[in-house]
Amino acid sequence: MNKTLLSLIVFVATLGVFHNVLFPIFTPKEVGMVMNRYVYYLIMVLTVIFLHLIMKIKPAMAFRGLMVWLLGFYFYKFILFPPVPWTLFITYMMLWSIGTFLYISQDPITFREFREPIVRTIVGDYKFAQIIVFTLMPFLVGFGTYKALYPTFEEPVELRTVHPAPPATTKVHGKTYALEGLQNPFRIAEQDDYQDSFPFLDADKSEYMKHVTDGGSLFFENCHYCHGDQLNGLGMFSHVFNPTPANFVDPGTIAMLRESFLFWRVSKGGPGLPNESTPWSSAMPPWEEHLKTDEIWKIILFEYWYTGWHPRTFDGESSITLSE
Amino acid sequence: MFRKFNFRKPLGVLLAFAVTLGMSATVYAAGPDTVKKDKLELGKKTYFRRCVWCHGVEGGGDGPSADRLFTRPRNFNQGTFKIRTTDSGELPMEADLIKTVTNGLPGSAMPSWGNVLSNEEIVSVVNFVKTLVQDRSFDDVEDEEVNVQDFGSNPWGTTGPYHLGVPQEAIDQGKEIFIKNKCFECHGGEGRGDGNPTMKDDWGFPIVAADWQQCWNFRGSRRNAYDPFNVVRTVNTGLNGTPMPNFKDQINQEDRWKIAAFVNSLCPRKNIDPLANKPVSDFLISSEFTAGPVAKSIDDPMWTVPDSDTKITGWQDDEAYKEEWGAVNRPRKNYVAMAGQITRGKRNFDPKVDNLWITSRWSEEENAVYYLVEYHLRFLSNDPEWKEMVGIQWPAQLQDLFGAEKPYFIYGDSKKPVHIWRADFLPQNYKPTNAPNPEGYKLDVSVTELNGKGFDDVTVRENPVVEVVDSIYKQGRVKILFRRSLTTENADNLEVQIPPQKFIPVAFMQWSGRDHEKDEHMAISTWFYTILKPQIPNSIYVNAVIMGCVFAGFQGWLVWMTRRTRKMYDDGVVLRDRLPDQPS
Repeated sequence: MNKTLLSLIVFVATLGVFHNVLFPIFTPKEVGMVMNRYVYYLIMVLTVIFLHLIMKIKPAMAFRGLMVWLLGFYFYKFILFPPVPWTLFITYMMLWSIGTFLYISQDPITFREFREPIVRTIVGDYKFAQIIVFTLMPFLVGFGTYKALYPTFEEPVELRTVHPAPPATTKVHGKTYALEGLQNPFRIAEQDDYQDSFPFLDADKSEYMKHVTDGGSLFFENCHYCHGDQLNGLGMFSHVFNPTPANFVDPGTIAMLRESFLFWRVSKGGPGLPNESTPWSSAMPPWEEHLKTDEIWKIILFEYWYTGWHPRTFDGESSITLSE
Repeated sequence: MFRKFNFRKPLGVLLAFAVTLGMSATVYAAGPDTVKKDKLELGKKTYFRRCVWCHGVEGGGDGPSADRLFTRPRNFNQGTFKIRTTDSGELPMEADLIKTVTNGLPGSAMPSWGNVLSNEEIVSVVNFVKTLVQDRSFDDVEDEEVNVQDFGSNPWGTTGPYHLGVPQEAIDQGKEIFIKNKCFECHGGEGRGDGNPTMKDDWGFPIVAADWQQCWNFRGSRRNAYDPFNVVRTVNTGLNGTPMPNFKDQINQEDRWKIAAFVNSLCPRKNIDPLANKPVSDFLISSEFTAGPVAKSIDDPMWTVPDSDTKITGWQDDEAYKEEWGAVNRPRKNYVAMAGQITRGKRNFDPKVDNLWITSRWSEEENAVYYLVEYHLRFLSNDPEWKEMVGIQWPAQLQDLFGAEKPYFIYGDSKKPVHIWRADFLPQNYKPTNAPNPEGYKLDVSVTELNGKGFDDVTVRENPVVEVVDSIYKQGRVKILFRRSLTTENADNLEVQIPPQKFIPVAFMQWSGRDHEKDEHMAISTWFYTILKPQIPNSIYVNAVIMGCVFAGFQGWLVWMTRRTRKMYDDGVVLRDRLPDQPS
């Protein structure tokens, strides 16, 4: 039997069994030291090599090159996690193709062996293959041209600055605040001491929890439509807006911002953004139109309590102003 | 087979099974799942951090958010839970509540907690919620009985996410069952929930029937919107606390799956965003090039595109259309998500419309563009003071916008004004309590054109040029076909001039007159883009053939070259490269 054909069968069967049967087993929800996708891939490659060795099959060089190339393709397409964007995928595959070519051309014998079937197809030693390839190729090229020239329209990509630089001062309800050093007047205690307290139930017992309860109530009257019941930016209206509402649970939002920044953002909303932050499509209201200054601060206090993040502070500035 | 097999009570199950085998649709009958006392501490902690804001301190569904939500958060006190696998009026199984918390209730403010809370926390909070039931008790094993229903299994073996491939015969039979059981009395003639405007829930709050054509909003859809099981369950168990009864005695199990097939067939197949549980908005609204004039009738085949994503369902144009129009592309029906305008002025927390469907064509010959706007609205106004309205918003000075710049999406701003085309309409001879009318209602439409420089600075333009060329309200769906010339004469710089082949920002607004919405109290979308697509030039076909021929020529050259090289080797004119192990 033709060695290359045998090898093809072994290769396809191995990959088929591995991908459909073993891959799901090796990718459980809880990834372990052994049960992970990379171990799976290693075992698969070793199995392919091992089968070829014990069955003593040595396929044609062109097919060996193809196998190497396909195993790389499989790795970048299915194994590498998290999946890479397609531009990066193309780059990786180009590098892998160069690597495959190095494998093919490692010495003149393998290279000649690799060229052999190609040359024989071109000159017509393999008549059947020549007819197929030479008829198909012009059609493929024509179709590719048609595809490339067919006009398609994708919506324009828009970039925006998520956290713009804040101004030095902001004027809310007739009072001007300098953002530098501005403190939340309701942050009267260390937030971590109240992580196990109950809103509403403990509101009478502790001043701090009273503010958290007030802030939470205001949040759930006004903000959850966009920022979500879980403060993760997935409120019931969130999918409508673009940019999507901020996810406060994410370490990239309130966790890395100062409370004074939040105060400015909440008070001035979308219309108060600079141009690089697309103020025209932000659905964030200028909350000074709907809320009092104290209410804004309480909502900010609640957001930190709920998510467990601490507002960012800088040297010489304390996030806590303990009242005696 | 048994969806709710409870391994904790195997004896009870066996007994119940033996008794009920073959005579009833119950697979499990016993007392309810009692409260797990050891879970209550964690449950309370979770409840007061996560749930109290909507469901209230005592679980009365009266948290701070409640009054601005439609539908309101659940009041736990009565032990009335909608989504169950138990018989009507009974308490739910613990597993039912766990599924509700894990998956959330789409179409309401209840999010899915599966990714936020651990399994332990979910079980605990569910047990804590059980203790908030005051009028009944999960611990009352004497008086409370639960009968878990046997739903059977999907007879067609369809799979998610889209559950396509149900035989048409089953769907047609389902439709007969739908008519026989008068489901249309509440759900409307085509299932858009437009049957009965007077319904109340057990607490006296207004409630509407589900819109079957937006199945992603089914509360019990368990983040699997197209699964017919969701419908089977509801038909079988009813929705406690609502006017939806069960139909298990009227409709047998086999027929329940058929009616589910029918209900499901109505729901357009769209790519559902797993985070929002809603279809993904089609952010680019392509206006298709049309040779000759565009049809001015909504019923013309030019406008009858299915709601479903044709890539998902594999829908094909019928032969008659293809013959008439050849390769002309069908415009896509674009899904536009809408939200209440909750940003400026008088805010709208409970919009009645949460999406529009937009189809567009343009004609070079007519120098005009058409936008067909469709949306579901259960009940319309017939009060001339409060007209129904829908509008398309454009940047008024397109030519002055730089890059991605746009006017503010709510009526523009002082520097960048907007131009709005608004259709104001009332249905003729219409009462919300009318029986379903397959003919639909003609609309009295007038067009208002507005200029906005901010939500508090909106002016009405005189002599509108935008026309509504056709419109109808049929079975709970409004359709309005707008037409305008691409450019206008004597434009005053506050009128949008539409260039072909350019991305143009466009946004949509909708006002429900029946709910007294007007001005900034409305439903609104964010900015979308529209583009007037050009005609496909014939040159691309010619170029494809040319490239194919050129490549064929190259192949011929390659063969000739390779053969020549071989011949030169054979004749000894040139030497083959020598391999290292060959003796020289």
